[in-house]
Amino acid sequence: MIRLLVLLAALLAGVVTASLAFGDISLSWHALFETIIGSPEASPQNSMIVFDLRLPRVLLALLVGAALATAGTITLAIMRNPLAEPGVLGINSGAAAAVMAMIVLVQEPPVLLLPAAGFFGAAAMAVAVYLLSWRGGTSSMRIILIGIGLSSLASAATTFLSAFGEIGDVQRAMIWLAGSVYDANIVKVRLLFFWLILPLVLAWMSARELDLIRFGDNSARSLGQPVDLVRALMIVLCTLISGAAVAAAGLIGFVGLVAPHIASRLVGPSHARIFPVAALIGASLVAAADLVGRVIIAPTQLPAGIVTGLIGAPFFAYLLWGRRHVRG
Amino acid sequence: MSADDRHTLGKLAGQRVSIAYGEHRIVEDLDLVVPERRFTALIGPNGSGKSTILRTFAGLMSPASGTILLDGRSIDTLSTKDLAKRVGVLLQGPVAPEGLTVRDLVRQGRYPHRSLFARWSDEDQAACDEALMLTGTTTLADTPLDSLSGGQRQRAWIAMTLAQRGEVLLLDEPTTYLDLAHQIELMNLITVLVRDHGKTVVAVLHDINQAARYAEHIVILNNGRITAAGRPEDVISAEAIASVFGVRSVIIRDPVADTPLCIPL
Repeated sequence: MIRLLVLLAALLAGVVTASLAFGDISLSWHALFETIIGSPEASPQNSMIVFDLRLPRVLLALLVGAALATAGTITLAIMRNPLAEPGVLGINSGAAAAVMAMIVLVQEPPVLLLPAAGFFGAAAMAVAVYLLSWRGGTSSMRIILIGIGLSSLASAATTFLSAFGEIGDVQRAMIWLAGSVYDANIVKVRLLFFWLILPLVLAWMSARELDLIRFGDNSARSLGQPVDLVRALMIVLCTLISGAAVAAAGLIGFVGLVAPHIASRLVGPSHARIFPVAALIGASLVAAADLVGRVIIAPTQLPAGIVTGLIGAPFFAYLLWGRRHVRG
Repeated sequence: MSADDRHTLGKLAGQRVSIAYGEHRIVEDLDLVVPERRFTALIGPNGSGKSTILRTFAGLMSPASGTILLDGRSIDTLSTKDLAKRVGVLLQGPVAPEGLTVRDLVRQGRYPHRSLFARWSDEDQAACDEALMLTGTTTLADTPLDSLSGGQRQRAWIAMTLAQRGEVLLLDEPTTYLDLAHQIELMNLITVLVRDHGKTVVAVLHDINQAARYAEHIVILNNGRITAAGRPEDVISAEAIASVFGVRSVIIRDPVADTPLCIPL
């Protein structure tokens, strides 16, 4: 476990270093080193590139990745479905509909209002999904089905708005939704960090509850777990975490699905172990996706969300392929 | 068991319990007494409400009306955790997450005894070790559940409920899907738990002869009502079998255990 964490941390450090070095203007290792330690030989231009442009972007990618992975881990446990990710709660489609509505319907919306709209759209959908699936208690299956239903409703609304909106507005909304960390700045990073810290800590502290709820409602309840309460609290945490990630970076898909699966394959079924590993994997994935998106067809920048999608689709197939003999 | 026991409230009892799924009433006005430190078997045809009653006694379903009493107190007055400290349940076909080992599973049995931040205590460890030992799964502790045989897996699940250290164990069809040797092994385990560890065990069983041989108290259910309840030799009769299962039979004495043995005609 320790060795794995060290390995992942090293991987993450590698991705971060590469992200700081590569781009339109690539720095040599030496120049990067000089810049980071603030040596007098470093050029002011380099330090501007590293500290003002690339560092916030990398940090935002790390935070978003860790957040998505944590939210994905929670969703996987409470939904007990290998294909469940935070999107099941309607978080993505809710954010998309709200952002599209904001950009298309409001004349010149203030830039800061977009993440807020994204978050509230996500939260509203999660609440609606939970309430609609309540029938003297909830069940994972009901939440999943209602989540899918409401998501397609919200997607229909998004499509409707984009069909009738101004072409420029729609394009702006699409870019926002594509999932990218390109407009990162240190204020945004700080805001997301302070927003995430409490929910992340709470999620990690409830590892034992997740270990149990994953057994199924009846088994968990017979061991004395207040299943509906735990599930509701976990959905709140999940919404706070992934809603904020979506608000900060748009829709970066598949990380929430892939990271927890890789983590549980590496360290087994205990959530106390899955959480840190999944967070490191998620952070590395988003940072790597952003780096790849930046350099692969430079100077054009591919949004990280598209790159994670490119990684995610084959993983999805692999997941289904690997499960073809697993019953249940 | 003396005749007097049946008149007391027993360890676990249902009083005028009605259970419904939506509008559909499964059980109506049931009065059922589970005697303390005995092995009680619930038998009856499919759809007679055995499993539903067991789940209700375990607090997993709320009765539409009536009360479930544990030591004479309504289980509604107990928190889910306090109930789980005293009553262990094993339902049919429980599912565990992939890759879980027997030890991981058994440790879950300590959940009701641990507060949110409590560390793993010596008592927790002792309870798990004992549960593994009683079920003969100590050597399997580090084996993933997925790679166990049906009988071993069932013992692992029972070990989890034993780690709860409750006085009462409720088992829903614990012998289904087990081969003969594992069925006998499980029945012997229940006997030991009742005789040597003072547990009160209630099991839903399909095999009338198995129930008659191992259980000390049998409750025959039909359409959500109790047809007969009492010692095996008092309740297993050709008439009862005919009226409940619609099967004509003769009842003879089991030449080995001297318990009633039902031979269908």
